[in-house]
Order: sequence, then C-alpha cells, then structure tokens
Amino acid sequence: MRIAVTGIGIVSAAGIGKEQTLATLRASRSGLVAAPSHFRTRHALPVGEVAPNNEELARRLGIRHCTSRTALLGIVAASEALADAGAATTDNRRTALVSATSVGGMDLTENFFPDFIRDDRSGRLRMAAHHDCADSTIAIARYCGIDGFTTTLSTACSSAANAILVASRLLRHGVVDRVVAGGTDALCRFTLNGFKSLQILDPAPCRPFDASRCGLNLGEGAAYLVLERADETRNPYCLLTGAANTNDAFHQTASSADGQGDYLAMRKALETAGLSPLDVDCINVHGTGTPNNDRSEGVALRRLFGNEVPPFASTKPVTGHTLAAAGGIEAALAVLSLHHGEIYPQLNFTTPDPELNLVPVTRYIRRPIRNILSNSFGFGGNCTALLFSNRP
Amino acid sequence: MKTHCYIERYATSDMLPTDIKALIPDATLRRRMSRFVRTGVATAMCCLDADSESGEAIDAIITATGFGCLTDSEKFLRNVIEQHEELLNPTPFIQSTFNTIGAQIALLRGYDCYNVTYAHRGLSFESALLDAAMQLDEGTARRILVGAADEQTPSQHRIMERMGCWRKHRDGEGAAFLLLQATPTREPSPCIEEIDFPETRLDDDTIRRRYAVEQILRCDTPQSECYPTAVARILTQAVAPAAGKQIRIAVCNNYMEAQPSVIVVSC
Repeated sequence: MRIAVTGIGIVSAAGIGKEQTLATLRASRSGLVAAPSHFRTRHALPVGEVAPNNEELARRLGIRHCTSRTALLGIVAASEALADAGAATTDNRRTALVSATSVGGMDLTENFFPDFIRDDRSGRLRMAAHHDCADSTIAIARYCGIDGFTTTLSTACSSAANAILVASRLLRHGVVDRVVAGGTDALCRFTLNGFKSLQILDPAPCRPFDASRCGLNLGEGAAYLVLERADETRNPYCLLTGAANTNDAFHQTASSADGQGDYLAMRKALETAGLSPLDVDCINVHGTGTPNNDRSEGVALRRLFGNEVPPFASTKPVTGHTLAAAGGIEAALAVLSLHHGEIYPQLNFTTPDPELNLVPVTRYIRRPIRNILSNSFGFGGNCTALLFSNRP
Repeated sequence: MKTHCYIERYATSDMLPTDIKALIPDATLRRRMSRFVRTGVATAMCCLDADSESGEAIDAIITATGFGCLTDSEKFLRNVIEQHEELLNPTPFIQSTFNTIGAQIALLRGYDCYNVTYAHRGLSFESALLDAAMQLDEGTARRILVGAADEQTPSQHRIMERMGCWRKHRDGEGAAFLLLQATPTREPSPCIEEIDFPETRLDDDTIRRRYAVEQILRCDTPQSECYPTAVARILTQAVAPAAGKQIRIAVCNNYMEAQPSVIVVSC
C-alpha cells in the first residue's frame, strides 16, 4: 500500500510556515542568532530560535491559557499542515496525531522548579502541569480538532522521524485514514545546559562534515506532515516509500566508528521501498556538526553508496539542531526539495574532512529529484531513515 | 484494533531478585543507572533471560513510560539551578532521555532492531502495544519485547498531591515487560485479541457485552497503584497462570479519569 504526503506545516529559525522557510533556504540564509533571547541563561551560544516569543505566538493563535512553548510551536506547524492538506477534521475521515517531543513542557517546569525547591508548597502548579511529553500532543490535538488516535513518541533526536514511520503503519493497517505526524521541541535551559555539559556545542555556527567542525548549535521548532493512503488522495506532494528504524547498539550518546546503525537504517529504508542506492538522488543528512556524528554518518554513506554518494546537505546550519522536531523539519524540507526539484545548500562548509572526503552541496541547485532520503539519529543509538519519492 | 499477539512470557519489577548483578553484569553501566532505568532494564532482562534457551532473535523493542526518567531529569534541573549553569555533570542529562531503557536493552544485548519509546501519559503502554500488534500482524516482526516503566519520586508525588491526584488514587511505580509472538510456541498461550480506545469510560455491563469477556480487571480501583503505565502490570496479572478453562478478560485503563483504553486478552 502506498502512503502519500498531502500536507506540510513547518516552523523553525528559518521562518514560520512553508513560504518563509523556502525563502530562507533558497537565499542561503541562516536563521541562527548569537544567543537565546526567550529565556535567561549565562551561555551566549548561537541558537536557532523561532523569532516570536510565547506571548506573540499565543496571541497569533488566540490562546489565552498557560501553554508550553513546545505546544505553541507544535500548534503553529500542525494547523498549517492540516490547512495545507485541505483537511477538515470535521469530515468523516478518522484523523490521528502522532507527535514527538524530547523536552515536553520543560520550558515551564524549569521556571516552576526554583520556587518548588525552596519550599515545596510554592511554585505555580499550572506551570508544572505541562511537564510530560503527552501534554503538547494533547494541546495540539485539541486546538486542531483531531479526535482520533493520539500518541507521543520520544526517542531523542530521531523522534519525529519515528512518528512519521509509525504514521505510515497506522495507515497501512487501516487504524485511521489520515495522520498528522511530526514533532516539536522548544529551546530551554535544560537542553542547552545538557548539551553544554556534554561539550558538544560549537560556540560558532556549526560546520557539518567540515574538517574544522567542533559541535552543534541547538534550535527549536516543529514540523508535521499529513499522511494518507495514496489511492484516497489527489495531487499529493509525494509518496513516503521507505522508512526504517534501527539501533546502533554501541553507546548511550556516541555513534559507532563503522556507522552501523546509520548504515542499517538507510539500507532498510531502501529495502522497504524496493529501491537501490543508485535510485537516491539526494540526502538530507542528519549532519549535526559534532565530530562523532558526522564521522559515523559519513562512514555509513561510504558503506552504502561507495564512491557514488549522492548530493547531500545538512540544513542544521540554517535551523540549528531542533532535537525531537529535527526529523519532522528535515522530512518536510526533503518533501519540499523533491516537490520543487531543488537542493537547499549547506552553509559554513569550506574544507573537506580528509578522513571522509565528502563534500556537501554548498550552492542552491535546481534539478529533478526522484527519491530523497532524510536521516535522523539520536541518543540511545536510535537511527531512522525516511525515503520520499516522486510518483513513478 | 483486533489482533493476535501471543504472550510468550513476561516479567514484572515485583519478580526481580534483590541482587540484579546477574541480570545487568556490567558494574559501571549499573552504577550509572538511576533506580528507574535499572529496574526497567533488569525487568526486561528477566523477561528475556527466561527466553535464553530459544536462541531466537528479537525483531523489535518497544518501551513505554508516562513520565520518563524523573529522578535524572530532576537531578540535572536542580544542578542547573543550584550551580548557576556551571560545571554540570552530564550523566543525569544523558540518562534523562525517554528512550534510555530501550537503548540500554539494545546495548546490553547488541540488538540492532527497531527500538522506539512512547511517552503518552496514561496511554503510553497501549501505544507501544498497538505498534507491536501492527508489526506482528503485518509479518514484519515475529517476536517483540514490549514493556513499560514509571517511577515514583518525592517531587512528583508532592506536586501531584498538591494537584489533588491522591484524593482518589494511591501513588505507585513499577515495570513490566512482555515477549509477544505472532505464533504461539505452545498451546494454549495467552493472546491479546483487541486494543481499543473507547471515547468514554464504559461500565462493566457494557464492557462484558461489547468485548464478549467474562472477567474485567480495572487499573483504577482504590487498591491499585496508580501510575501512567500501571496497565502493563495489570495485564501480566490477567495472564498469570490460571487453572481451568480458557476465559476472555478485559483489562481496563482510565488513568486519572482521562483517555480510557480496553485490552482484551484470552487466557
């Protein structure tokens, strides 16, 4: 059974909505800012921040009650995706929401907690009530009028890609007729300090696959695809032809030297699509800019594609690494790339890593694409690859 | 969704020995784990170890947690606040990731298969079970390890107490893992036959009629420990070796009076 992509919604440092995002990417601009502005932190590190603050986002959406930034960003993207698909949740098609997040409502919890640890009778409870991952999903479903099956995945930086994979399974099994699938994550002190403590944040803009790369930049955002069974749709963007999740089974945070998990995910995604490496015209790589990730991913690319590695680029220098949302944002960009026949350039690349000798696409290119891979890898060895294809 | 997932074996945190060295032999790994991760991983290992004689591969590991690694999240958050964002130990941050239990199982056993984690409050385990059922039904997997874990912490307990959650419920924690198969190794094997999400909480009569069951097990009785994935442990109680004839049981979850679910199991 073929699964079609019928709608896209996206918000990141590259812009709010599809049009702004495309304009940023086509102009080779970065959305990164020099330091976070929506929360207090002593770390002046570059981040991919979504410009409007919570009050502005809430006003734009007509939301008056206390809502986490993760939920606000998710609502912006999910409602755009549904509108883009021309989907009315009031029609008789059963609609599901499969959302991913890694921080949930931590942006509110971390403002509740200082009061609470001083005195466990204080701290505003309404700010602790949004802590768990399900909260943002339930808020999105409620706002968008999605009353079918609703669930949340949380597998670190591959989360949203896994949400899209699970969505295709729900459609194949006829559990629902339409799925809004993707992820959302807001920047917060918790994750900024977490990655800082791991010493993998680059104080300068990140340089994936470059010899001088020394870390990632965090970002925030959300993106959702609307997926439906292809034979029930007209004029979809493209098909989701392959999807696979594998485990590197090497280390809790680091990737293996032979890129085994990355390699298996890409290979299995191609197998599920019944395609060969030669059919892949472009790859939106995970490419975080950490020495470890890019080496493993590069080795995996060499193992799968040999000397014929297709044109590839990481969009993280534009958006930052948006963690659980990354798989959704990059899937949306892969779909747009395929649909418009264009490859979005990777910024900040100058010198190939002699160990890998891989050079990403650094200039905006227009060319027809048949099949595009989108890679998303996360902590816990979690590796996911999605394959989108133009209709044959 | 109607399904046929045979429960080959299961383990719960109540069944764990006091010394879990045999289940997680690596001392460094064990020391880094919070109680939550250690309990979850040990329970999974307990479920798998009982299976070691079969030597068959696992095709997927699907874990569920309502609230995730609360102790590690809290520890890291406290450090951020108290140490003013300086000189932080990354270990609790690393371990606070929701998929830590699933990842550690893969790491300990070298399993490179499908491995995802659902974190959807009171329906986390049902989501994992639905995913497993779809994979077993479509034949992309034959044997799947599905499990759930949640921990009780002083802060979580206190915050939920202030929210009034414990007026009607008793706080709790636990882990449970099940090894599911598309075809049973022996007859009769307990079998999950349906996973359903009714719109509202159904009374006993309606459940008996709608799902044709003889027995009902509810997760929200006053005696039950109330945590987001308690349903996984109740499910193992339903399939605990029963004498006599085969019956159909409905395991009903309605965590905090929201989002009801019904799992129908024959055993």
